[in-house]
Amino acid sequence: MNEQEKKDYLEEYKKKKEKGLPFFPDILFKDAVVSLIIFLALIALAYFVGVPLEERANPADSSYTPRPEWYFLFLFQLLKYFPGNLEVIGVVVVPTLGVLLLFALPFLDASRFRHFARRPWVSGVTALTMVGIVVLTVLALYETPPPAATAAGDPTAALYAANCAGCHGPSIQVPEGTNLHEVIAQGGHTGMPAWGADLTSDQIDALAGFILSPSGSRFFAETCGDCHAAEDLVASEPAELKNALVQGTAYGAHAGLDIPQWAGILSLEEQTALLNFLVAPDGQRLFATNCASCHGASVAVSGAEEELRATILQGGLHLDMPAWGNRLTEEEIRSLAAYVIDPESGADGKPLYQEKCTACHPGRVPSADTLTAAVEIITTGGSHETMPVWGELLTPEQMDALVTYTWDAARGTGSGLGQDIFSQNCSSCHGPFGEGGPNPTRDGDIIAPISTAEYLKTRDDITLRAIIAQGQPNFGMSPFGLAYGGPLDDTAIDALVAFLRAWENNPPVDLPPDVPADTLSLTGGEVFATVCSQCHGVNADGGVGSSLRSTAFRAANTPESIFVTINAGHEDTAMIAWGGILTAQQIQDIVDFLLSLPVSEDGQSGAPSFRVAVLPILQAKCEICHSASDPGGGWVASDYDSVMTTGDNAPAVIPGDAAASLLAQKIQNLQTFGDKMPPRQDLTPEAIQIILDWIAAGALDN
Amino acid sequence: MAEDRSVSRRSFLTVATVAIGGVITAIMGIPAVAYIIGPALKKQSEQEWIPVGRASKVELGVPALFKVKIQRKAGWILNEQELSFYVLTEDGRDFIAMSNICTHLGCRARWVANEGIFFCPCHNGVFAKDGTVLGGPPPRPLDRVEVKVEDDQLFILGG
Amino acid sequence: MLTRIENWIEQRIGWRAAWEAIFLRKIPKVNWLYTLGSASLFVAINQIVTGILLTLYYVPTPDHAYDTVQFITYELPAGWFIRGLHHYGASAMVILAVLHMLRVIAYGAYKYPREVTWTSGVLLLLVVMGFGFTGYLLPWDQRAFWATIVGTRIAGTPPVVGDFILRVIRGGPELSEVTLARFYGVHVWVLPAVLLLLVGVHMVLVIRNGISAPPERGE
Repeated sequence: MNEQEKKDYLEEYKKKKEKGLPFFPDILFKDAVVSLIIFLALIALAYFVGVPLEERANPADSSYTPRPEWYFLFLFQLLKYFPGNLEVIGVVVVPTLGVLLLFALPFLDASRFRHFARRPWVSGVTALTMVGIVVLTVLALYETPPPAATAAGDPTAALYAANCAGCHGPSIQVPEGTNLHEVIAQGGHTGMPAWGADLTSDQIDALAGFILSPSGSRFFAETCGDCHAAEDLVASEPAELKNALVQGTAYGAHAGLDIPQWAGILSLEEQTALLNFLVAPDGQRLFATNCASCHGASVAVSGAEEELRATILQGGLHLDMPAWGNRLTEEEIRSLAAYVIDPESGADGKPLYQEKCTACHPGRVPSADTLTAAVEIITTGGSHETMPVWGELLTPEQMDALVTYTWDAARGTGSGLGQDIFSQNCSSCHGPFGEGGPNPTRDGDIIAPISTAEYLKTRDDITLRAIIAQGQPNFGMSPFGLAYGGPLDDTAIDALVAFLRAWENNPPVDLPPDVPADTLSLTGGEVFATVCSQCHGVNADGGVGSSLRSTAFRAANTPESIFVTINAGHEDTAMIAWGGILTAQQIQDIVDFLLSLPVSEDGQSGAPSFRVAVLPILQAKCEICHSASDPGGGWVASDYDSVMTTGDNAPAVIPGDAAASLLAQKIQNLQTFGDKMPPRQDLTPEAIQIILDWIAAGALDN
Repeated sequence: MAEDRSVSRRSFLTVATVAIGGVITAIMGIPAVAYIIGPALKKQSEQEWIPVGRASKVELGVPALFKVKIQRKAGWILNEQELSFYVLTEDGRDFIAMSNICTHLGCRARWVANEGIFFCPCHNGVFAKDGTVLGGPPPRPLDRVEVKVEDDQLFILGG
Repeated sequence: MLTRIENWIEQRIGWRAAWEAIFLRKIPKVNWLYTLGSASLFVAINQIVTGILLTLYYVPTPDHAYDTVQFITYELPAGWFIRGLHHYGASAMVILAVLHMLRVIAYGAYKYPREVTWTSGVLLLLVVMGFGFTGYLLPWDQRAFWATIVGTRIAGTPPVVGDFILRVIRGGPELSEVTLARFYGVHVWVLPAVLLLLVGVHMVLVIRNGISAPPERGE
């Protein structure tokens, strides 16, 4: 545009302006009308659509699929086409060029032409850019689903994201036949922690299902998630689940519900994925839920793996009991049947039974209701026991896992971190299956099995951890916890406990080895000297444990309560439940022995030690809320100084005056303000007594 | 004539423009005022009868300590307060309730059963069973709380 | 009487000249597309008014931001209305500004003598985008948080300086309460100041140079 053209334009414009209208009110009226329309449109949007407000921001939830505001979507989409090192083009170069082009536009397009038809370049590029932006935005809308659809309603996915995704990324490839439940519970070899302590068994099952069948998890969230929580359904009976899915409202529990016929909506693949999610193809769990009720801990398999597979697939048809009618005389069958019905009266059939039947029916007499029925069964043979036809109930993946597990279990192989730790640290004394044996540290002593269901059922995880970490010096077991000078850190101990715990449902040994009976036939005093004195002192006047002779102990306990404590153990201390080891008579002997001891003269020496008796209680019951980092009421329960000095109403402890001590008032619910402590679960009377005794004895730092 | 039409059109547009402006301002302004004064109009959380427990828990002639938690929310922060007070009845029909906050400096006074007094440990304030001052620095009796009993249910007026 | 007051004020302020310059100026014959600029201004005013109202209750800290937005939306009288206008106003602002710009491009209105007007307009568009980006985080819900994580990460991709830019925007390596506070500060103080300045320049130039006439075919 030269000077002449500029002058021409200004003159031309002046003329047009003269012919025009005043801004007010003519032009402003139009503006007002448009503004009003826009304003009403905004109000309509606010009223009819509303402003979304999603869940509160959760930085831990990495499963959320973010999507920017719509007018940035085209940029967001553009980045997809510049992978890797080219990203900088999409992020920096293209937008910067775009903005620079806008700024430079008046100078690039400086001709005197103003009508768009006379400026094909500018019009063309602008049009193309706008089309591009619209296309990119539409593509982004299409390709990135709205966040709610992927993030909401799949709690298992969230569980995975919170616990596993950090190391494993969005998915895990699991080798076929992996016992996933066990791996998760016990940890893996390369630094994977044991989750058994943090997640419930059902949560682990759900995770295993999610890992093996993530799409199943999504189908679950979409179809069943409205009514069911995944944790409630995982590891249910596969037959029930399949029926529930296939039968729709015809299924008992679904009767009368307003639910769709899922079997018609989900494709066969989707149904399989869903079933795989709910009953993870995890052999150990499948065996435990489906087979253990009849087959016990494991099945002895003599044939090849293929035979095992065929057997499970075919179910009831596998019991090829011969038709004895062809092989035995009628007389023999009758006596056999009589023995089967009633071993007492039909004792004649016993030799025959042992000869012919025990190979398949070891140690038990299969029951039939009547003699006729028994005769019929023996004569015809065939598949009279109904093992479900698992081939029809399980998905192929579940089938594979079950076969692999059963096969492995028959050979006693295990997996996971806990297994390794056990074989490295424990098996030399406890045996490879925890079956026990001679105690290498003490002549003539026998280590009882620790893998029996009975042993494991009577000890909770905390007890097991304590035993492993602190050892049992009096039995020759050294401490294994890092804090006590041993080789195992908390994670390893958790893995070990999870490994032991797996034996509870699936014990590798059913009966303890014979323990020489005479080692236990001791008097109360002798038992005390060998067992109790390790903690309570040779004279029962205290050591690691509290004094059993003090006036306070006697005052707080009846013979019955002492018996109960020995029998059931002491929840808040290291004292285990001796009922599993000692007979009732022996415990009673110990009680009698204790009561026969003279009451200690010196009340002080019998007072509970702060570090040994009081602090463990405070740490177990109080420190959760009264920790140094987050002291409830300003009081810190983690060590002696803080117990004595901190607190909004310090001191919480007045040495020698339990009645006046706030701590004592609170645990006894005698406080004058605030709530009793602990707020929900009361301390045991014994624990309260320990704390009261300790305060009464001067609240020493001992 | 043409001039007239132009003038009337112009004045119409003026009126219309001003009217639209007024409409927008009103649509915007009225909700804005409501929005601003909303919290002020919110009903002052009136004192109401709060059930605190069974009246039969109160022994004749012995003050019984009751506690009740009340929640307050001015805006978006939930505050929990605990009210605690002693309830006393001499005949099982007429109840009085008094705050356990010492009228001296606000410590919690507590009932000392074997001496039959309320005692405030901070500065040895002593109150009689009915809350009157017996000794120490408290300037006035323990504050009374209105109380009523319906169907053995004890209510106090608070909030 | 009214005239006397008018005169009294006129002598002291000289508003008639301003009134005439702004409202009584002649405008060439224009079509409805020329209302887009005013519409943008209207929405900007809407954003300012509703935005100020929102700050009466909004608290820009992670522990309260979400609660206050909930309080505004669900508990205050007309809170949904104010927040709705602000929320959809933001989108309307972007749409109107872009349409306005397309009109200017189509009519070649950025040409002599209106180059500076155009430049201030482009800056205004960037400011609008900045408003959108910073405002998106403020409700502190899942969508806000994660979209901003991604948005700031995009800003962190350029080589060499990327990481520094990311830290400056987030106020640290992570998206945190610092990010929320500075996004709030930028959204509520910095950008509005820039916006008002640019709108002022834009308007003065529009009045001074006049609105371009729709070019005829061949022009």
